[in-house]
Amino acid sequence: MTVQIEQEPPQTLMSIEWRITVNSMMRSRRGMALATAAGSLLILSGCSAGTEGTETDVTSDAGSTETPDSSAGGTCAPEEIQLIGQVRNETNPYEKAWLDGGDAFAESVGLTQTRLTYDGESPKQQEQLRQTLSTGNPECMVLNVLPNGDSDTAPIVAEVDAAGAYLVTHWNKPADLNPWDGHDTWISHITFDGVDAGAQIADAIFEEMGGEGGIIALQGILDTSAAKDRFIGLENSLEANPGITLLDQQAADFDRTSAFNITKTLITKHGDEIKGVWAANDDMALGALQALEAAGMSDVAVAGIDAVPEAVQAVADGTMTATVSVDGPWQGGIGLAMGYCVLTGGLDMADVTQEQRAFFARQTLISAENAEENLTPTANLADFECGNLFDRVTGPVS
Amino acid sequence: MAPARLGQAPPETGRAPARSRRRASLLADYGPLGALVLLCLTFSVLSPQFATWGNLRNVLDSAAVLAVITVGLTFVLMLGAIDLSIEGVMATAALSVALLIANTRNDIDLGFLAIVAAVALGACFGLATGLLSTGLKIPSFMTTLGMSAIGIGIATVLFAGVQPSVTSPAMGEWASGQWFGLTRLTFVAIGVVIVGLLVQHYTRLGRYARAIGGAEDLALLSGIRVRRYKTIAFTFAGAVYGLAGVMVTIQLGSGIVQAGVGQNFAAITAAVVGGTLLSGGRGGVLHSIVGVLIVTVLVNGLVLIGVSPYVQGAVQGVIVVAAVAITAWPLRQRLRVVK
Repeated sequence: MTVQIEQEPPQTLMSIEWRITVNSMMRSRRGMALATAAGSLLILSGCSAGTEGTETDVTSDAGSTETPDSSAGGTCAPEEIQLIGQVRNETNPYEKAWLDGGDAFAESVGLTQTRLTYDGESPKQQEQLRQTLSTGNPECMVLNVLPNGDSDTAPIVAEVDAAGAYLVTHWNKPADLNPWDGHDTWISHITFDGVDAGAQIADAIFEEMGGEGGIIALQGILDTSAAKDRFIGLENSLEANPGITLLDQQAADFDRTSAFNITKTLITKHGDEIKGVWAANDDMALGALQALEAAGMSDVAVAGIDAVPEAVQAVADGTMTATVSVDGPWQGGIGLAMGYCVLTGGLDMADVTQEQRAFFARQTLISAENAEENLTPTANLADFECGNLFDRVTGPVS
Repeated sequence: MAPARLGQAPPETGRAPARSRRRASLLADYGPLGALVLLCLTFSVLSPQFATWGNLRNVLDSAAVLAVITVGLTFVLMLGAIDLSIEGVMATAALSVALLIANTRNDIDLGFLAIVAAVALGACFGLATGLLSTGLKIPSFMTTLGMSAIGIGIATVLFAGVQPSVTSPAMGEWASGQWFGLTRLTFVAIGVVIVGLLVQHYTRLGRYARAIGGAEDLALLSGIRVRRYKTIAFTFAGAVYGLAGVMVTIQLGSGIVQAGVGQNFAAITAAVVGGTLLSGGRGGVLHSIVGVLIVTVLVNGLVLIGVSPYVQGAVQGVIVVAAVAITAWPLRQRLRVVK
């Protein structure tokens, strides 16, 4: 199994999971019927809740009260829209929070999100999407998808093109495949600038170290673009900070246990010279932190990327210096919101610029100042209003 | 009995083959140890930090979890079976111990009982594997793979999106506290190795495991309750994996689903490098431990001598293959079956 990994890789290596989830239920026809029945019940309850004025969100009111005819370009009745979120699995906080963000948006418009997980297996992802597209009206479907690797995006786009469903992809796509090249329903591709993230946390630890001293770097799986880009960011920052020396760099495969063991070895090798640890993700940063603690080294600046809850907690506690948040709940909701807005007429595809169809989204550095408020990442429903969909664009994917 | 005679060389072929066979067996037994010593000498020459007390401690501490896993796996391998359930069992054990001890997710605090519960849970997984393999005659490859998936599934449900961090101060003590300069977990690992050795030498399980692995049909014909001992071996292994899951949780300070990722193949590699054969009937706990040390020293040494991370994986692979080739050289009799 070759898997290209962009984010939170350890769990993608798990080959098989047997779960009793909605996914497996969806496979059987009867399960499908039940789910549809349950779905429509939920929609009904959502609408009644909306009319009673218990819902606070603006879009939900707009969604449930306006008929599609009243707005320009609306093609589906809001209750006919199917929202689908697909990620690798729910064994890590990031992707779990992603799907929860999707649920939050779906609930705000009186719908439910179908949560799909494919265990980091490319064929399973394709199969799931094929099945989903064939069980319902694809023209009223919105898919918010995390492709397993770059090469998986092309077949996904082809399937969706053929079915006419709306698609938003995240993280992985080949550089020469772009939504504006004749893919009318592929609304957007959202990703984050790894170089920038790597540089942001590097600057944070360099500042904590007072601009001089030795650091070690823990890289991710070396042949992933996430690992490469983030390390380039570190190298750029090192160039700008001549007082800092990179003592050693090792690959710890985005894995916490590997990082723990490698950091122990590097402590043996470099001892007290280590004043900072740059890790390409939070899992490795946390592993390194544990190794430093075991060695009694408490004044080392440690930083990672991803903002997993444990790392944010460590930043709040002052044991870690910084992490970078790409905001999983936002990713989970935004793709569904884009599709929903297009289908209900709140967003006209003609108005979406080329830059907005493949963009780097804003990522936030979480340091001691803002750690508390980021402890429980939740979706901010205002981000999903049709007018705010592209507020986080920081630039085109280069 | 006809089969027994088939396997033996006729007496008139003389003493020479017998002596060479003994030499071969000696090399197979002590070859891995030689490889370990050679590896250590090489690294000591190439890196001044390698042969220091600090690094020895580091190697032993890093080897602790893998050593525990490999002790359990060895019994399964000696039977001629395979165990791919390690990742799943460790995941479930890691999550359940983290949730049952003082943690950030709930108010349950069973203290030491939590560890017992996690180990017992591991044993249940092993028992289930054993019963499925022997009762329904499903190859252990499939049952253990399935068990791994079940384990990861249960762990995922328990995880529910928020990692439970262990807050019990006693557990923190076990993670960082030291006895004679080694972490306490290393002594746990040494304890497990001793238990493993005792089981191997002084119980029926240990002795029959090798007999069953050598020739299961013969063992069955001579009245050994093969099914029972196979099931016991899987159960023992499961309990040990459960303990390993607990150890990882203590080390990392939180229960993670990925607690055992990569450990399954590391353990199989270690056992085989140490001279425990995948076809069963040969090897033992000490063999496997030598293998564990070889694997750990290799990772540690390559980092210390500064081999670029981009080629480390390849270098490790080459050395492992070379080590196995050297150890297996005397065993390459013409009629030996390799599966």
